[in-house]
Amino acid sequence: MNVQNSTNNQPKYLNPYFGGVLLGLLVLLTVYITGRGLGASGAVKSAVVTTTETFAPDHARDNAYESKFVSDDHSPMYNWLVFESLGIFFGGLLSGLLFGRVKKFRTEHSPKITSKTRLIVALIGGVLFGIGSQFGRGCTSGAALSGSATFAFGGVLVMLTIFGSAYAFAYFFRKLWI
Amino acid sequence: MNRNYIFLTILMLVLATGTLFVNKTIKLKQVEPQQLLMEIVQPTRYVNTDLVAKMIIQNDPSLELIDVRSANEFGKFSLTNAINIPLDSLINESSLDYFGIPGTKVVFISNDDIEADQAWVLTKRLGFNSIYVMKGGLNRWMETIIQPQKPSDDSPLTAFETYEFRNGARLYFTGAKIDNEETGKVKVVVRRKKKSAAASGGC
Amino acid sequence: MGPLIPNGFIPGDWNFVIAILLGIAFGFILEASGFSSSRNITGVFYGYNFVVLRVFFTAVIVAMVGLLYFDYFGWIDLAKIFILPTYLGPMLVGSVIMGLGFILGGFCPGTSFTAIAIGKIDGLVFTVGLYLGIFIFAESFPLFADFYNSGNMGNVTLTDVTGIAAPWFALAFTFIALAAFWGTMFIEKRVRKNIKEYKF
Repeated sequence: MNVQNSTNNQPKYLNPYFGGVLLGLLVLLTVYITGRGLGASGAVKSAVVTTTETFAPDHARDNAYESKFVSDDHSPMYNWLVFESLGIFFGGLLSGLLFGRVKKFRTEHSPKITSKTRLIVALIGGVLFGIGSQFGRGCTSGAALSGSATFAFGGVLVMLTIFGSAYAFAYFFRKLWI
Repeated sequence: MNRNYIFLTILMLVLATGTLFVNKTIKLKQVEPQQLLMEIVQPTRYVNTDLVAKMIIQNDPSLELIDVRSANEFGKFSLTNAINIPLDSLINESSLDYFGIPGTKVVFISNDDIEADQAWVLTKRLGFNSIYVMKGGLNRWMETIIQPQKPSDDSPLTAFETYEFRNGARLYFTGAKIDNEETGKVKVVVRRKKKSAAASGGC
Repeated sequence: MGPLIPNGFIPGDWNFVIAILLGIAFGFILEASGFSSSRNITGVFYGYNFVVLRVFFTAVIVAMVGLLYFDYFGWIDLAKIFILPTYLGPMLVGSVIMGLGFILGGFCPGTSFTAIAIGKIDGLVFTVGLYLGIFIFAESFPLFADFYNSGNMGNVTLTDVTGIAAPWFALAFTFIALAAFWGTMFIEKRVRKNIKEYKF
């Protein structure tokens, strides 16, 4: 009942509303336990800081941005969001195995573009998302989802602006997807 | 499937609407400590028993008497039209509905003016205005209104005028006391509650 | 009594165990809802698949309404939870950049991790992009440090900004979300008729 067979009997996904209720309850549980919401981009930030610190420790300390996250006691990877993101990966793996979606490495793309185009665009998208998430103080999960759920003004702002601007840009990049 | 969705839609709406009614945590803003201190030291919050008596007799609709003594004491004696809110339940939500009604003057009364003063500080701190304390409380009321002393012959004219007024008030309060108090109290309690509920309604 | 960790009900040592467990649940839900596929995600912008809108907004309204009930039952102290600080200008600019990144990359950070887990190279490349993006940001930070810190409004909630009580926002979001759910159901049906090559 909850696992719904989609059109064409292809991938078995959860009913989106069921998934949404689960996700909402998870946000609630996370706030209840930790007092703050979920996140994802913070882990990548920790990874960036760690690499700079490993290869150029002085540089990391000099950098006005990274130095905020460098500490003498422990590595920047020793961070709540890093562990949580590891969990995201394993959770995804678990679900993928359960529903039979873990397969050999592949690239998903619209038939109108080649995989190479898709990968280049994905890289650009990632770079933009990375830069934007630092300005926005979080990404879709940290700022938009958890922020909105806790009634933070910034969270709702980020949520509306991300979706609004994505809709605004959608027309120009429609070839990539449909 | 569609029927389930309709059911879930309604459920979600009901739950969301429910939050409007369950979340009654009033976010009261408090006045600044300095401002509170300044107002505490000023004697302007006191009104004397004569003024209160006058307002009661004139049936002044802006007067709202709040008796902060226990319900037991209130039952034995209180002023006409007074509403009983014991000090310990003063900042309950239902009690707060009585304050901040536009166009009313709240006057706290107790046996002396100590408890009434405490009530005044509590409500002042929550930012309510036009609240007063009856100077000397019900003890002073007894001395001045119910058993007024005749001034000596060499007193100024105003003292005689006050005495005359008090004498009249004494007749008003003691003579017609019982039925006035009974009818008055019931009527007023209903009126206040309705008015205050409207004033604080919504969120 | 909640939140548990800030109130000391759970010792700090368990922090990371809990982080992994919550992360696993998060990843599972994301993947199982279909967020490991970028074409599922971007469907919301072209009208052929509204799974993002459904999952995301259901989650937001459930969490919002739930939080208010938690507060009412005294299970959680809303004063102790973390409120995302608002930096008006940087947040608007950042979100527009993220929106562009979203429509190009087809993922957001959390979903790209789950995409890697099931073997999507585009998810991996997106994550590499994220890494590079944050690296570029950190290296060029002195250029826009002032802008980054501008417009600080503090850790404000919607109620702080507008003066309207939180339940009204919960109700408004619920209304909008439910209306969107019903509306998009019809849009999706119409759009899907014209798309043949995409397997849903």
